[in-house]
Amino acid sequence: MNTIVIAGSQASKPLPFNLTFDQDTLYIPANSHLEEPFKVTVKRQSNTLLSIVVGAHSTVKIILEIADSALDQSMYRVHLTALENSHVKYLFISEINSEEGTLDHRFTVEKHASIDLVGGFISNILTAKMHVDLVGEGADVKMRTVAVSSDEHNQTIDVMIVHKAPHTYGDMTNIGIANKKGRITLNGVEQIEKGMKQANAFQNLKGIITSDDAMIAVNPILLIDEFDVKAGHGATIGKIEEEVLFYLRSRGLTKGEAERLVINGFLRPVVDEIEDETLKARFVNVVNARI
Amino acid sequence: MAKLEIKNLHVAIEDHEILKGVNLTVNSGEVHAIMGPNGTGKSTLASALMGHPKYQITSGEVYLDGENLLEMEVDERARAGLFLAMQYPAEVPGVTNSDFMRSALKATSGKEIGLFDFALHYEKVVEELKMRPDLAHRYLNEGFSGGERKRNEILQLKVIRPKFAILDEIDSGLDIDALKVVGANVSELVDDKFGCILITHYQRILDHIKPTFVHIMIDGQIVLSGGQELIHKIDQGGYEWIKDELGIDFVEETDTP
Repeated sequence: MNTIVIAGSQASKPLPFNLTFDQDTLYIPANSHLEEPFKVTVKRQSNTLLSIVVGAHSTVKIILEIADSALDQSMYRVHLTALENSHVKYLFISEINSEEGTLDHRFTVEKHASIDLVGGFISNILTAKMHVDLVGEGADVKMRTVAVSSDEHNQTIDVMIVHKAPHTYGDMTNIGIANKKGRITLNGVEQIEKGMKQANAFQNLKGIITSDDAMIAVNPILLIDEFDVKAGHGATIGKIEEEVLFYLRSRGLTKGEAERLVINGFLRPVVDEIEDETLKARFVNVVNARI
Repeated sequence: MAKLEIKNLHVAIEDHEILKGVNLTVNSGEVHAIMGPNGTGKSTLASALMGHPKYQITSGEVYLDGENLLEMEVDERARAGLFLAMQYPAEVPGVTNSDFMRSALKATSGKEIGLFDFALHYEKVVEELKMRPDLAHRYLNEGFSGGERKRNEILQLKVIRPKFAILDEIDSGLDIDALKVVGANVSELVDDKFGCILITHYQRILDHIKPTFVHIMIDGQIVLSGGQELIHKIDQGGYEWIKDELGIDFVEETDTP
């Protein structure tokens, strides 16, 4: 797989697929049809910035990876834009060990473009914002995120999709897993502005805790200022059922093994959507390292 | 040759005593049927032996080949060779039968089993139980009919091969054909390395799995033990005759707890 490393406002060379990099922005040319995914690894600076612009009529698969083992304050700002009629499959993995991490990830989806996002947050203390603007008619975003909080870690994840054009489609599934003394606050907001007819907004937030000291709060919110729309939302939080654990343990699995199996089952709908086997394995490993 | 010994077992749920001193010894090669009216503690015995957290053991001892079972965690009991085919097996979404079964087999056998060997073996057992061939890829018990769940319990039993199995009302939810299949598969397992406790309300499963001993449990105790002649008596006259014969009184509960 092609990997592009971005460090200190410089991209590693040579860039594959006629990509260009200028002023913290990575451009994928218009009409690119890339079957193979490529990976972008972002190295930390004091204030890390990155924009990715996918040119019109292009089809790409991008993996963005932030792996930051330093403990001091960190700030990442990333912006992915899908220009007209482009289609982006996007796998986003952030593994940030900072004691005070901030991640601000914006998405802009133009006319008839789509972003299909799978994201994983594995962090210590993190405040993350995933903000999607559907700015063009027929813009489409499907996002599924998984957040894992372990030990005494704390994550606040705000996910927002704003429908700024008619005939737009936004679907979010966000899953939080907290074990030990981990905490997660998951805020999902989907907003349909006035006049944005035939917009579709769906959200599903799920939380699973594996200990009495873990905590998850989920807030699913729909803000709709238009009548001619379809929308729905739901949220569930729970512990792994005692009966399920008893059943699995009665077949010889330890409590930890049983919990791991159940959590992986819970994540399966998300994991199954990652087509690339290497990436799927990577995603599963990153999540399992913390549960 | 293996031995499961239950000595004067008392079990309570939320401080309400259900089992009031159960004594039972099961050797490999034997099938013990425990029969009795609803609500007399048969399923409690099954769950308590496996270590369900809802049940408190208030006194008594249980040994599997001389090892104190009651000091073990649920999974340790399983690895020591005990198996419970549950009355209501749980659903586990997103976990396929084959992934689960491979982990369980690895845990109980302590050996790593190659994917290919496992798949072949699993496929064979699926056939023996006349189950849907796509079982391996379906999620554990999710969307299964009552009968499928019960067969899946027996399938797990056949893959894991414990020393002792407790089959808790394995006959409920099975039609006559399924009963035959389950009966034949369980009977085949019984040998000098495997013994079984069969908990049932009705005699019909016992047409397919012939018990070595039959025990009648009433009000948390085994009140009568014998051979297959007891099955016939229960078939004819229910449990009422026991009241007269043993001079004890009980009220049968209408619902299975």
